[in-house]
Amino acid sequence: MKGALRWGKPLLGDVLVILVGLIVVAYLIKSLWHNEQAAKLQIRLGDKIYSTYSLDQNRTIDLQGPIGITRIVIADGRARFASSPCPNQYCVHQGWLSHKGQAAFCLPNQVSLELLSGEKPFDSLNY
Amino acid sequence: MRFLVLFFALILSACGKEPLVQTKSYVFGTLVDISIYGETEEKAHEVTSQILQSFQRLHHQYHAWQSDSELSKLNQTFAAGKQPVEISPELAQMLAQAQTLSKESQDLFNPAIGGLIGAWGFQRDEFSPVEINDLTIQKLVQANPQMSDIVIKDNTAFSTNPSVKIDLGGYAKGYALDLALAELQKQGVKNALVNIGGNIIALGQHGDKPWRVGIQHPRNPKPMATVDLLSGWAIGTSGDYQRYFEQAGKRYCHIIDPRSGYPAQSTQAVTVLISPSPQAGVLSDVASKPIFLSAPDQRANAAKAMGVDHYLVVDAEGKVTLSASMNQRVHWLAKPEKITVQ
Repeated sequence: MKGALRWGKPLLGDVLVILVGLIVVAYLIKSLWHNEQAAKLQIRLGDKIYSTYSLDQNRTIDLQGPIGITRIVIADGRARFASSPCPNQYCVHQGWLSHKGQAAFCLPNQVSLELLSGEKPFDSLNY
Repeated sequence: MRFLVLFFALILSACGKEPLVQTKSYVFGTLVDISIYGETEEKAHEVTSQILQSFQRLHHQYHAWQSDSELSKLNQTFAAGKQPVEISPELAQMLAQAQTLSKESQDLFNPAIGGLIGAWGFQRDEFSPVEINDLTIQKLVQANPQMSDIVIKDNTAFSTNPSVKIDLGGYAKGYALDLALAELQKQGVKNALVNIGGNIIALGQHGDKPWRVGIQHPRNPKPMATVDLLSGWAIGTSGDYQRYFEQAGKRYCHIIDPRSGYPAQSTQAVTVLISPSPQAGVLSDVASKPIFLSAPDQRANAAKAMGVDHYLVVDAEGKVTLSASMNQRVHWLAKPEKITVQ
């Protein structure tokens, strides 16, 4: 049996290799997960979450709010209000959102967009 | 192997769901966002729903342009003459508090100018640009409606000036925050964050960290800074970017200078951070207005008169001025090139 691969007590070197590997993985998770661009778009309609979309795929979403149809566009990892039935068009003027924590609302049609990733940089927004 | 097990156990526990229950809804014509931490989901929903019900009640009872609200009826009797009418103890207390704050602000916070706010088209659910009628505005300013014209006695009120028309748009959301905080404490909730249209009050903290709030940039759709909101503290911003209209290339915001009758033009945003007190919420709503309306060299005095130490001003050119104590509390996400510490 000499020379054959056997599972025995791990040697000091094995432990060190595993340990270093884990430290590197933990470091990468910590550094890469926190400063990335937004990954998801959460859309709320009224007081409910309407849906959450990945920003990876380009798409157009039409949704019916209290005063009409709001169009939201996802393109190239960004999202925006493309058109809205509201009189002031503030939501459309907000333009593209691309970083986590960014948000835009259309109060008249009760639609809100929020970009999400692993962790939000704050709990709530003062505006 | 044991290392791997331990490692994944740690990773997985970090992914475990935090006991945070967040509810968003629409009251006061704006977004209301209530976060409760560390309670069961059932309890959090129950307390949230109670708070939202009291917000709805406040919204209807003190609505400035629905003619059947208690406030509208009072405004009608103010306009009709000097006959005292009975009002609810709550409204009497609110008006008295607003009178005190109006006096402290040297009348820059003036909820009696409902007539002007209406003339500018801001007393509508969906406002649109209005024809600016200089003569109408001049008359409304000359009529000089003041909070001190109101006489409150034994839950009755009358006005010595028929032009007084109360609009609590710059007060009621703050009052609602104080009410929410009292309700949360009464229900035994230890940690919560309540946001009514951007005005926020904190109770306890979010797990082992304080509640953290973002301060919106007045011209970009992203936060410019964050502030840790400690238990009992409140934060509020007056900005020209939420309710406004543009006409002939000029921006007319909803913050109207009671002295001139015209919307303020020299400021983009004022944020105030208010230390714990039974009226922290009200102050977070009210105290930013006098600073917003003051000339640049008078802002520090206006803040002091309202008892506010922590304030941040973004002026019409986008330049940032903040008090020394605010400077210590702000964490910039997008630091402006030049900031002035006052």
